[in-house]
Amino acid sequence: MGSHQTTTVTTNEKFEFTAGIRKALHIMMGVGIVGLLLVYIFNPENGHARFWSNILLNTYYFTGISLFGLFIVAAAQLAYGGWHTLIKRVLISMGAFSMIGGFLLLFTLITGLLGWHNLYDHVKHILHDHHNEKYTNKHIFFNPPFWVARVLIYAIAWAALSYAFDKFFGEKNQIDPKVYKQSKLLSALFIVVFAVTESFVSWDMVMSLDPHWYSTLFGWYNFASYGCAGWAMSILLVIFLKSRGYLQAVNENHIHDLGKFLFGFSIFWTYLWFSQFMLQWYGNIPEDTNFWVKRFNTGYFKFTIFLSLIINFLFPLLFLIKRSAKRNFKMIGFGAALLFFGHYIDFFNYTAFEPVVREATHDSHHGGGHSSVSQRFTLLAEVHGEHNAPAEKAPTSDVPSHADVHLQNTAAPAHAPKHESHGSHSHATAHFATIGLGELMIFAGFLGLFLYFCFSRLSKRNLIVENDPYLEECKRLTVTWA
Amino acid sequence: MAETTLPNKFVVGLWDHEEVYLHAVEHIRHKGIEIYDSLTPFPVHGLEDALGLKETRLHTAGFMFGATGATLALSFMTWVMTTNYPINFGGKPYWPVPSFIPITFEMTVLFAAWGMTLTYLVRNKLWPGRVPRIYDKRTTDDRFALVFNAENLNEAQIAELKEVCRKEGAVEVKDRVFTPDEQL
Repeated sequence: MGSHQTTTVTTNEKFEFTAGIRKALHIMMGVGIVGLLLVYIFNPENGHARFWSNILLNTYYFTGISLFGLFIVAAAQLAYGGWHTLIKRVLISMGAFSMIGGFLLLFTLITGLLGWHNLYDHVKHILHDHHNEKYTNKHIFFNPPFWVARVLIYAIAWAALSYAFDKFFGEKNQIDPKVYKQSKLLSALFIVVFAVTESFVSWDMVMSLDPHWYSTLFGWYNFASYGCAGWAMSILLVIFLKSRGYLQAVNENHIHDLGKFLFGFSIFWTYLWFSQFMLQWYGNIPEDTNFWVKRFNTGYFKFTIFLSLIINFLFPLLFLIKRSAKRNFKMIGFGAALLFFGHYIDFFNYTAFEPVVREATHDSHHGGGHSSVSQRFTLLAEVHGEHNAPAEKAPTSDVPSHADVHLQNTAAPAHAPKHESHGSHSHATAHFATIGLGELMIFAGFLGLFLYFCFSRLSKRNLIVENDPYLEECKRLTVTWA
Repeated sequence: MAETTLPNKFVVGLWDHEEVYLHAVEHIRHKGIEIYDSLTPFPVHGLEDALGLKETRLHTAGFMFGATGATLALSFMTWVMTTNYPINFGGKPYWPVPSFIPITFEMTVLFAAWGMTLTYLVRNKLWPGRVPRIYDKRTTDDRFALVFNAENLNEAQIAELKEVCRKEGAVEVKDRVFTPDEQL
């Protein structure tokens, strides 16, 4: 390759959002709408929970990815980074979806509070029963006006910052020292806003699906997860643009840097996944372990949890670690596509399970009495009927006599009351929490929407930020052996 | 690397600018002249490519050291906890894999780090008491050096080599002959 002939390549290319691409994206969005309709019609169980949890999952996932595109720009700008200058516009265009992403999340929340679906039904219990010590002071945090106002603020802040990034890096002369200083301020502002809002939104929209479960690193964890997806998306976009003859100055050195970040974030994600899992497994507090027990007791979620670990950890560890894999467009493209789907599965594990549980709690609610933690445990243990009377099995002080003490035993806290007999309603509803055709169609639809926003913004201006002080440096980027 | 007797007679060209130096390396190699060594005060981006160096295998060694550490840690803890001295900790299984992970991770890092460091030092002959060959002291300050093996070159060839270096922008070209007491 040689690092010097690239300087002659023209930089003022402009991405053309051709009719062909538009058509392809329209088809994807159409597929998504059909998928939503199919899921809505064929899975009316539990207030169309499959439909709504899919909307939440995809909105959250793609908003995260889009915000992460802006985050990369902001972080690199603050760190005097020059390696990404050639693809800065691509990253900023990834941020286009966050113009609407926050509002879609707000829509999901408001419809939930209005009772259109029951993803956030727990709020009713919390508000109704807030003297129950199990809920501590959650009724303050999950007070609907406060809750909605928070999400509204995130949505507005993200849209404003996304717009500001596009405007600022697209129109200002970056080589002007004054503008350069302003770019630092803007980036710092974004980092601060993003750090706070991404944590809060993860609690508001995802962790609160299970109001009894806490994870103190959840915001961080979510950041790492859609971070991986964000790097994967940026790699795929760069490869796509290159395959269509754009971004000629971008070579394997740039993709290598993106690949290294993808690899690094995958390990970072694993670190957080494991930290979260092991502390809860070891701490053995019913409220924590509940989250895992109910998933591990479902064969399907046990499978998806391990699948996400294999794709998101083992695969990058063994495949992306090699320099040659990160420098080969086909190989890194394959890796990025796989990880992009892997982190979808990861979020799926968080958002898709709760509707099943909600069904169980919901039914018990009809049976009279409020659903309490202990009742939920009993119900959960029963959902999959794999344990014979777990309440009796609860090991508190007696030492297990055999080595195969499973995590599942923690499912039944000692204080769990004897459960009344319930129907097999949970078996009837459990089947819809899977990655089926509907999920894939909806995923394709949201991907189409995301790319539509991305390409619209990309085609608005030149593909490369001109007058950037780091442009020359970026063109000569060489990734050394070290 | 495996040769027992190192050459003692060299031509050393010194450059004072990174860019000029990088181009010089490319041009000189293009002419088919073999470069014995290259010394720079700081890492020059693109120099590996220009010199045509092969990819280091150090990271492969690192992976193997790491895998060794991981295997050792996991198998030792497994042996202790299942066979040698099984104890029940807080109702956890006798083979509590999640609680092995942090130690396995540390052992992986420890083995990889020490293994790679020692491999690097041994491979580069940086053991204690070694007398390094210094072609020019300024290569740690502000000069970029190219070293050519002049052992088998005659006077005319050496003169030609020096001329090539000067043409490529070397600010200084000199002979460097190592005396027996400077031997490695």
